[in-house]
Amino acid sequence: MLGRLRMGIDTAIDAYNSLTQQVFSDQKRWPGDGRFKATKLEEVIKSVVQDITGDPEELLLEVGDTSVCRM
Amino acid sequence: MNANIPVLFRSYQSQETHSGCKIWEAARATSALPTFFKHIEIGNKQPYIDGGLGCNNPSELLIKEAKVVFPNHQIGCLVSIGTGQAEVISIRTPGFFQQIVPTGVIDALKAISTDCEATHEKLSLLFKNSPNIYFRINVEQGIQGIKLSEWEKMANVEAHTMQYLKREEVGVKLSLVINTIKSPKAQLMIEQFGMKKFVM
Repeated sequence: MLGRLRMGIDTAIDAYNSLTQQVFSDQKRWPGDGRFKATKLEEVIKSVVQDITGDPEELLLEVGDTSVCRM
Repeated sequence: MNANIPVLFRSYQSQETHSGCKIWEAARATSALPTFFKHIEIGNKQPYIDGGLGCNNPSELLIKEAKVVFPNHQIGCLVSIGTGQAEVISIRTPGFFQQIVPTGVIDALKAISTDCEATHEKLSLLFKNSPNIYFRINVEQGIQGIKLSEWEKMANVEAHTMQYLKREEVGVKLSLVINTIKSPKAQLMIEQFGMKKFVM
């Protein structure tokens, strides 16, 4: 959130709180392979990425000037 | 899925960059803590699990990477921020379904906190003769009992963190961190760090 998406600290904390609430308040009924829904986690992460970059499928690799922050 | 060989997801070009990796895939892979979420497959069906299993304190890995990315540079400042975990994040009393997790995984998780502090000790030794370059910031007391999934306890985390930050010696340390970042005085070439001491 801070490094790649360059979110401000307060924005990142808000986004993290919202993310954990959405992901962890939704336990799987039959937790075979993990107690929480990976699909839910993916959905919430993608929505954060979309809010910041406009594209939920944005690549991790940054083009252009990466000297500001590499992660 | 070998937890002993950490994979780095990079936002910059390097020989090992996963060129097609998306931001959400990297975020998902680094959250794939067993018993919490299923592992994820990226690229050529390579399964990934959270690095907390074998590499929860990546400081040594960072120095190794910095040597490759920034050869002939100096280290100005290294700040390591802990998550205040003195014990295993989630696996304390395994429920029925968690009992199907191999005990090897549970043992590995239990070793994480020791591993973090061991890395910190190693780095402290490494920087012993170069004061005010390496800093470790970690809320040592109060939030160790809070599980990763307990989102409703965020206010507790915040309160303990504020208490930690108010401590005299922590305030002094933070001022030093700020000064060092603003005007680094390091004279240590990155190559001077004897990586032979590191067991990777």
